[in-house]
Order: sequence, then C-alpha cells, then structure tokens
Amino acid sequence: MDGFSLLEMRGIAKSFGAVRANDGIDIDVGAGQILGLLGENGSGKTTLMKVLFGMVRPDAGRIVFRGTAVSGHDPKQAIALGIGMVHQQFMLVESMTVAENVMLGWERAGRWLAAAEIADEIRETSRRYGLDLDPEALVGDLSLGRRQRVEILKAILRGAELLILDEPTSNLSPPEVGGLLTVMRRLKAEGKGTIFISHKLGEVLEICDDVIVLRDGRVAGRRSVADATRAELARMMVGRNVTDPLSRAEQTPGVSLLSVERLNVVDASGTPSVSEVTFDVRVGEVLAIAGVDGNGQIELAEALAGLRSSSGRVVIAEKDVTRESVAARVAAGLSYIPPDRGRTSMVASMSIAENLAMRDVRRRPFSRAAWLSRRAIMANGSRLIKSYAIRAPSPATPAGQLSGGNQQKVVVARELDRKPQVLIALQATWGLDPGATRFVLEEVLALRGAGAAVLYISSELEEVLAIGDRIGVLHAGRLVGLFERKDIDLEAIGLMMAGAHEAKTGLAA
Amino acid sequence: MRMAVSLNRWSGGWVRAFVTIGLTFALTAVLIAFSGKSPITAYEALFRGAFGSFDRAAFALNKATPYIISGIGIALCFRAGIINIGAEGQIALGGLAATWVALSWPQANVLVGIPLAFLGGAVAGALWSGVAAAIHVGRGVNEVLATLLLNFVALLLVGEALHDRLGEPGAGFPQSPLFEPNYWLSTVITGLQLHVGVIIAPLAAVGGYVLLRYTTLGFAIRVMGTSRSAATYAGFSVPWLTIRLMLMAGALAGLAGAIEVLGIHYRLIEGFSNGFGFNAVVVALLGGLHPLAIVPAGLFFGFLEAGALSMQREVGVPSSLVSVIQGLTMLFVLAALASTRQRTN
Repeated sequence: MDGFSLLEMRGIAKSFGAVRANDGIDIDVGAGQILGLLGENGSGKTTLMKVLFGMVRPDAGRIVFRGTAVSGHDPKQAIALGIGMVHQQFMLVESMTVAENVMLGWERAGRWLAAAEIADEIRETSRRYGLDLDPEALVGDLSLGRRQRVEILKAILRGAELLILDEPTSNLSPPEVGGLLTVMRRLKAEGKGTIFISHKLGEVLEICDDVIVLRDGRVAGRRSVADATRAELARMMVGRNVTDPLSRAEQTPGVSLLSVERLNVVDASGTPSVSEVTFDVRVGEVLAIAGVDGNGQIELAEALAGLRSSSGRVVIAEKDVTRESVAARVAAGLSYIPPDRGRTSMVASMSIAENLAMRDVRRRPFSRAAWLSRRAIMANGSRLIKSYAIRAPSPATPAGQLSGGNQQKVVVARELDRKPQVLIALQATWGLDPGATRFVLEEVLALRGAGAAVLYISSELEEVLAIGDRIGVLHAGRLVGLFERKDIDLEAIGLMMAGAHEAKTGLAA
Repeated sequence: MRMAVSLNRWSGGWVRAFVTIGLTFALTAVLIAFSGKSPITAYEALFRGAFGSFDRAAFALNKATPYIISGIGIALCFRAGIINIGAEGQIALGGLAATWVALSWPQANVLVGIPLAFLGGAVAGALWSGVAAAIHVGRGVNEVLATLLLNFVALLLVGEALHDRLGEPGAGFPQSPLFEPNYWLSTVITGLQLHVGVIIAPLAAVGGYVLLRYTTLGFAIRVMGTSRSAATYAGFSVPWLTIRLMLMAGALAGLAGAIEVLGIHYRLIEGFSNGFGFNAVVVALLGGLHPLAIVPAGLFFGFLEAGALSMQREVGVPSSLVSVIQGLTMLFVLAALASTRQRTN
C-alpha cells in the first residue's frame, strides 16, 4: 500500500434486528489512495459508511483514523477529525450562493459571516482542485454535477483528509462523470484518501487503486485494480455471472405496434422539449433511444404514456390513442416503466400488493363496480412476488420497505404481467445493481420474444447498445439518428449525443 | 405545501393523541393557576359539567355531531392531499339552506320536510365547496386560499339573509323565525335533548372508513395523497378526484349545518356555527385523518365544550379557556406531525 495508512476499520459488525448488515468487515485506506467499495444494494456499503461517519454505532469493531482510535463519534466530530462525506442526496440550499452554502453550519465562518474571505478561499481551493466553481453563483442555477462539486468543496474546506463519495455518479451525465473523475485525480494528487462507492464497474476500474467487494455484509473479495477484471468483480458482487452478453434470439420484426408521428411537446414555459419526433416500433422489436439526460427523454415517454399533453399522432396496435387518457392507453395495451420510483411508479406507503394492482385497479378482477376486491389484489400480489422472485416478507408489506432493486421488480412485474403490446421503459435500471439490472434487461428481452414492441430509453449507452434492435439518439428533443443494430457506428452515436451532428450536417430528425 | 404526505404517516396515533391531549391539559393547568384558581377544582368542574348528568352528556354529544360529520369530509380531502378548510362556511350555508326549506314549506310532512332540509343543506354545502373547487382546479388558485376566503363570504351571506328575507320580523337579533315543530329533529331518548342527528355522525364515520378501505375511490385517494404524479400514472384524474372529494366534503359540512339548525336551535341564528368548521379541522387531525378515530376526537371536543360552561359557573374560570385548550390541541397536533415528518425524512 502507498503512503501511511489514513484509515483502518477492523472487524466492523452491525445488526439491525435479525439482519447482519455488517459482519466483521476490515478495510484500509491510505493517503492519496482511492478505494472502490462495490456491492449490490443491501450488501452493507451504506451501513459501513454510516458507521465510519458516526451516523450509526457499530456493535463491534474498531476504527483508527490518522493513527488515533475513534469511537462513539457523531457526524460533526467526524468532520472535525477530517472525514468528509458527500451524500447521494445533496444537502444544499438552492436559493443560496455557493459561498453561503459553504458557510452554512460551519463554525469557522463565524456569526458575522466573513463572506469576502470565504469567497477568496473558495476561488483558491476551486482552482487547486479543478472544481471550477464561482462562489457567487446560486446553487439553484447549477447542474447536478456542479452541486456535487459544492459538496466536495465543503468537505475540503472543512479539512477533510478522507472523502466518502456515496454513489457520486448515479445522477450525473457522462461528461459530468468525466469531470468528477478528474477532480478525484486531483484529490489523490493532493494526498487525500477517497472511498468511492459505486455500482458501476467501469468507473471503479478506471479511477480506483484498490477495490473491495461487499456481499451480504461481508467482504467478498479485495483486489488491486491492476489485477481485477470486470467479470471477476461482478461475480464477486452477485455471486453469479452477470456480464455475459444478453442472449437474444434473432427475429424478424413484424407489423408496427407503436407508431408515433410528428410528436411535439411544449413545457409549461413554452419551450419545446420534444420536436417533430416520428418513429415506428414493430412486433418483436426493441427500439432503444440513447441520449444525455435532459434532452426530452422524460417528456417523450410521458407524452406517449398519456401523462403529458402533446401534439402529433400516437397509434398503439392500430388504435389511435392520441386523445386517450392514461387509463385508456393502459387498457389498449401500453405499459410504462417510469424513471422515478420515489414519486411516480411506486407508492411507498401502500402495500406491495396494492402497488402491483395500482394501474389496473378499476378493472376486474381487482374491483367490481366501485368495490375493491382485496382478495384478488392480495392473490395477485402473492403470485407476482413468487413469479418475479421479489424478496418481500408478504404482499401486505409497505412497498417502501423494499430495497431499490426489489421495488423496481414490483414495477416491472406490474407493467409486464399485463402482457402489453407496447412497453415504454425510461431509465428502467436507474440506481439498480448489476444483478437487478440484468433482471430488468432479461425481462424486457423476454417481452420482445413474446412479440411486444419495446421503446427503451436510457442514458446508459452500454445498455442501449446491448438491448436495441434499432438504436436512436435523442438530442435537444429531436430524434437525430436511427441505426439498425448491424450498422451501429459508435463514433456517430457519440457525436450525435453531444449534438455535433447539427454543426456537421445541419441534419435534423 | 403538500402536507398530506406527512399527514398520512400519522398512523397508530393513539399514543400521540393522548400525549397531545395530556400536554394540552397540563399547559392549560398552568394558565389556570396563573389566574389564581386551582386547576384541580377547575378540571373537576369541567369533568362534572361534561359527564355529570345525562343531560350534560347529551349536550356534549350534540356538540360533537357537526365536528364529526364535517371532520370526515375534511379527513377524506386531507388524505388525498387537498387541504380543504372551507367547512366553516359550508356548515353555515347548510344551515341557511335547511332554514330556507323549513320556512318555505312550513307544513310539510316530517318524512318529507326533514329529508328535504337535509338535502338542501348538503346541496348548499356542496355547491359552496364546488365554487372553491372550480377556482382551485380551473384557475390553479391554492385550495387553502380558495376554501378559506370563501368562508367569510358564506358567513356574510347568512348574515345578509337574516337581516333580509329570512329574518324574524321585530326580533331585534339576526335570527330566523322558529320552525314549525314538524321540522324539529326528534329526540332519541324521551326526556333528553339528544337529537337523531347524533346517529348520522357514526354512520358518516363508518361510511368514510368503508369508502377509504373498500372502494376504488378510496384507493385513488390514498395514492393521490402520497403522490399526485403516482395518481396520474395510475390512471386517476387528479382534477376530477379533487372536485369529487371537495363536493363530498362540502355536502357533509352542509349536512352538519342543517342538523345543527334543525336539532339544536330550531331556527337559524347568526353565528350559530362560529368556529365549527375550524374545530372540525382540528378534530380530523387529532383523529389522525382516520374516519373511525375522528369519532372519539370529535367527542373529546364536544365534551370539552359542554364542560366549559360549568367550569365558568362553578370556579369562575372563563369558558373561553376552552378555546385555549382547543387551540393548544391544534398546536400540539401540528408539532407532533412536524416531528414525525422530520424523523421519517
């Protein structure tokens, strides 16, 4: 290992009831070292980091940070010791400037805020670490990637020697991820230690020195990145093989099931977010749409699902649904997997069974006239829990108690069990670990095999390439390219995602 | 402000309801002590005033009735995330409409007149609530504002009617003439003031419970209360649900007003329902927005007010202290809700 040891955690154990979240975990981080922490949801990564940051008391084990034993600390003391944590959910006040956010809750900033000094310090630190932040900018105006840098800046200024980055790339666009990795290299060069928590093997292999894989609360393996392979790490994470290419039967697409003509969506402020999008998806075909987030993906998907008003024509299985409600589209055989489980596709306070019946509840067998059939709802819940291997104690369990992967299984089960003619999936694997991602992709391909038409929209290019029979690119609300699977030109797709096609060819739609 | 998300989490709230009430009484005791009276004697008088005789208890049950009936409607709205605080005005207009029916057909048969007056009250309440719903859904005005402000208009309308067409000539006080006895709600037990309206309150509670738990509309309410975006995704129309629920709540509040007028005063008196609608909101919250739990919550408020008068009479503690107790209850309920929200976030 390089340098002196910054952090030693030995034999960390923590149980929640009968669940052993951490079961004797040892990790080491050296100064100027980036340690990757891999593991599926529920493997114990978060608990381990909460123990380190003082948010959770361990049942056993000891922590030595910069040569001193640490125990019984809280997050405030952890920060004072030099441990900084950047959470997945940013803790920033959007209506305040970068400088004000940095000063917030920081004793050194004083009661009378030394704004000018802090601003200078921010500029200086920002330059040194390549953060590129303006202290006067309003946080609300910054992109998610920039906001994350504000969190990193806060940690550095508070004297962090060790930074914990909790799934920092999960809501960043690819260029922002690149920027983050650059910042991480600077941190490393300045001698800071970093713990990088991620699902994404590619990023871990690119940036980390060492990697530790957790599974079921134990260390499943530790490797130096130099001698680790993607397949090996994935196997350690899930205990089985998930990196094999998806098996897909070659089939000739049939008639058009989803036909979209000149679809336009205008948002509340009057700016067009989807412009003149036209395409067909045929029986047994997956049309996969790539593109950087925020280029009209959600607007396109919601317009097709009936959640957002649009102009143009949408035909599902020869039935014109352009003017139809959400419920009528569902009845016409349209399933939709939305990107956010938190607000749209799942009601955390309601039971798994109720969530599984949510979009069909006004039809038999779930209700007759105005009356719910609780028995049918529960029976359907038990059946789908079994057939989709959802890990849940009972169909009556509130859906919010499930892990992210199992929540998504609930959504997938609901949308696929309808035997849809057309499936629209948007960021269907967001926040899922490789095992759960694999599950979703396999289910989508099975649906394709059963003769449905699938529109698969994702900002993960890898997934788009793996699943699409045809690949399209959405940029600035326009469908700027459509490739047959056999003619895929990665460079052209990359350029289109970046918007370079316009400058080059002036081509649109 | 989407309060309902946290409101729905107020489950298993028995403990919290009792803690809330306990804290309220403790704090009020301090206030009584400050005024130089013994809190123990005062609470004794309060208790005797509420439960001391069958008549007192009947009075309390009558008091609780409008709180429970309109509280159910409010709870259904809140559960769906619609912060409807328009019951105050809807109750008053319900009373006005029932009065209009009673004075327009004074000789109607009991079996026709009273149902007609109930219907009139419910329709008036629903219409008033419908105005708020139209403003909210149609023009996007915040429902809290729309419902709150229309309360004041409704109260003025009642006053206007009493000073004009419906007023008792030469009474010197804004009230309507006494109804014919065929419009008086009969008493449940002979010799007691307990009117048949009290039977409607538990029916409304059970109805609300069944609606929430066993119907597709109740399912939609629960989804919408957690997330409007989920409700839309599930295929429910949020505007249409909003309108239906507000009409329902308005009808219940209007019915409560009609019962109050036909069962207690046998005439419309200006200000007969002052504070009822706002108390009903507190009752709904104290009952954790659970239709069945609203019954004990409403009874608590009813008995509190029944006891207040004797507390004033016997100990000399002003009966307005009960408003303090009600206010503090509201405060503690909100504080408890805020703290659950913080813990769950």
